[in-house]
Amino acid sequence: MGQGRVGADAESRWLMPLLETRQLTKRFDGLAAVNGLDLSVEPGEIVGLIGPNGAGKTTCFNLLSGFLPPTAGTIRFDGEDITGLRSHLIVRRGLVRTFQLTTLFQEMTALENVLLGLHLHSQTSVRQLLFSRRPFPREEIDRSREVLEFVGLAAHGGQPAKNLPHGHQRILGIAMALAARPRLLLLDEPVTGMNLGESGRVMALVKTIRDRGTTILLVEHNMKAVMGTCERVVVLNFGEKLAEGPPASVSRNPKVIEAYLGAELEHARG
Amino acid sequence: MPAVLVVVLGLALLVPMFGNYYIHVFALVFINVILAASLRPSLTCGQLNIGHSAFMCLGAYTSALLAKHYALPFELSLLSGALVATVVGLAVGYPALRLRGVYFAMVTVAFVEVIRLVAAIWVPLTRGNSGLSAIPKPNLLGMTLMTKASQYYLVVALTVVTLFILWRLERSRLGLTWKSIGLADNLAQSLGVNIAAHKLLAFAVGCFFAGVAGAFYAHFIRFLFPPEFGFLVATNILVYNFVGGRGHLVGPVIGAVFLTLLSEPFRGSAYETIFFSIAMLATILFLPGGIITLPEKLAGLRWGRAASAPTPSPAG
Repeated sequence: MGQGRVGADAESRWLMPLLETRQLTKRFDGLAAVNGLDLSVEPGEIVGLIGPNGAGKTTCFNLLSGFLPPTAGTIRFDGEDITGLRSHLIVRRGLVRTFQLTTLFQEMTALENVLLGLHLHSQTSVRQLLFSRRPFPREEIDRSREVLEFVGLAAHGGQPAKNLPHGHQRILGIAMALAARPRLLLLDEPVTGMNLGESGRVMALVKTIRDRGTTILLVEHNMKAVMGTCERVVVLNFGEKLAEGPPASVSRNPKVIEAYLGAELEHARG
Repeated sequence: MPAVLVVVLGLALLVPMFGNYYIHVFALVFINVILAASLRPSLTCGQLNIGHSAFMCLGAYTSALLAKHYALPFELSLLSGALVATVVGLAVGYPALRLRGVYFAMVTVAFVEVIRLVAAIWVPLTRGNSGLSAIPKPNLLGMTLMTKASQYYLVVALTVVTLFILWRLERSRLGLTWKSIGLADNLAQSLGVNIAAHKLLAFAVGCFFAGVAGAFYAHFIRFLFPPEFGFLVATNILVYNFVGGRGHLVGPVIGAVFLTLLSEPFRGSAYETIFFSIAMLATILFLPGGIITLPEKLAGLRWGRAASAPTPSPAG
């Protein structure tokens, strides 16, 4: 890509953030779940989006991926305005998300799950549909197996997804998103409910994915995982940006500590 | 599996040996098989469609009128019937498929009534509730299929072609995508699936084959009567799918064969509705996966009995 586009154009492309929101706002019946958020993600970064429960992290993901229309503000991806675009069109541009709860199709095999991730890159012709001996073109099967191998699930391709252990299921969810060839991957709590070994493996996988050229924005409650993986952290509280910076400085920020402790206290008071 | 298919097809081809009554009954069985199987793409997408008889009705009247008034050959009138059903399906489906669950189902129910009423009221075209009669027998390559037996073979062929196409669609990427929408539409959307477009496509495919079934029905029975295409026919098509089983394309086929044959003594009477209701209730209570899960259920029971007490039975 970009053989003919060198010089000033390529340079300005590098200076431009991959994702940029301006004054992004979402109100539900007057209550602001996300309020005037300015967020930017540079190409090649791993950015963590953290905050107490109800801070607006998932709403933010829903806005970025087109699952919810914003009340106000703009979202630019790769220099183009994608505000209000329907979600499948956003995916087509290379912004792919995963989910916190429904991460995969339980009733299908692991391979079928990844095949679905290839949806956008498949050209199924009528001839293929009606007359081919194979239900899927060989390249698609090969490509899906490659993705499974990359995430370390090569041996489980034929298994129904629901029979996989929890950790493998979460990894399969990431594999599906990878099959869609994202340039920016939004991971919604990728290591929730995992033990130490599993979460370590997933976070290592996240780094490898980044090293292969995919930028990553992730929401996660597991602070150890966030601090160990993210290069930059954005803290949300009540839908607004509370702090931003390298993990070490953010974790020492008194406002951040207060927000988390405050939430804990509220929680304890119940 | 291929052996089973050959045996079933062979048996189906033997039916005309038993006389016209059986030809008639089994032709209805195959019409119902096409209807039941063609509802499946929509059901796979998670859309509860209780309006399939409307599209059968459209196919039937279109084909019958074109053959009767314009002497169109059966191949063309059948295709026209199916296409009219598809086009109307697209027009209705485009707004309706944005609705979910029971709201979509309500629209389809209302649509059945609309089509039935149009057929009943538009007397100059359809002769209304006096019924449209003297519909030409089906013909093939210019030759009229005079005997009931030859018409029966025609519907067997139509069924085979329909099931083949539906099976190919189902095992392809298209089928996988439809299934993904039925299982978790949000997740499908997050992988770039245009949900609205795929639901519409699945719906339109179903309408096309419902139109095919209707067109054959018109030329086989040779008399169309609007109340024949009411809400009950549509629910029966749905019941075939649930009773047969929704896990595989074989489900609606078995459901349609089984229920059409068993309900034959009650055809046209009030008992028919009662029979279908009981079949549906029994399925929900005892065999939620439908008849196609019966073998594994029975195997589970036997295994449970054979094993000594403490092992938990999968059927339990």
